Amino acid sequence: MEETELGVRLRSHDPAVGLRAVGALHRLAEQVEAAAVARARQDGWSWEQIGDALGVSRQSVHSKHGK
Amino acid sequence: MFEHVAADARMAVTAALEEARHRGDRRIGTEHLLLGVLHARELDPLGTLGLDLTRARAALDALDLAALAAVGIDVRGVERAPVPLSPKRTPFTSAARTTLRRAVGVARQQGGRRIRPAHLLLAILECAPPDPAAEVFRELAVDRAAVRTRLRPHAA
Repeated sequence: MEETELGVRLRSHDPAVGLRAVGALHRLAEQVEAAAVARARQDGWSWEQIGDALGVSRQSVHSKHGK
Repeated sequence: MFEHVAADARMAVTAALEEARHRGDRRIGTEHLLLGVLHARELDPLGTLGLDLTRARAALDALDLAALAAVGIDVRGVERAPVPLSPKRTPFTSAARTTLRRAVGVARQQGGRRIRPAHLLLAILECAPPDPAAEVFRELAVDRAAVRTRLRPHAA
């Protein structure tokens, strides 16, 4: 990957970059979860199986992603 | 605070909430207020100054991708989806609350009794780095003075 200005700033310990990276990681986790849960449902996974895979209860995954 | 908010500015705040949730954020920040207010039709002309909803969303995504790359994560090709809306309470960040209060002040200065989308955007334009809305303006290389000038007739 090419050296980005942001990469340089991060290694220069610019807190703005590190803090945004943490936020971005959280958002990425949520977005990947949304995509993976939708795909699992398409593939016939039960809410219980998805909850187990995510380490949360069936109810919480269903209330978050169930339509 | 919201009783003096015009219907379209109220819609901007509702849109901000949806933008925040879809992105997977747990709080409504100034960057979401910016996205929310750009839903307002009356601000469409700002597109000629490089400021519109599509570009602002893309700028936020670009900032995230760059930050993730900075910690060694390459998300190209990774399947991502908008996070479903949930009934969970989504509070404002303290900067967003300050910005909303500032919008009340802007409306009052202009002699208006209701907060219009232009008032809200003028308040957002006051945000300074490292505020997330300010980062979007920087990423888009938006000329804030030009935007303010363009907003004047809408804020009156």
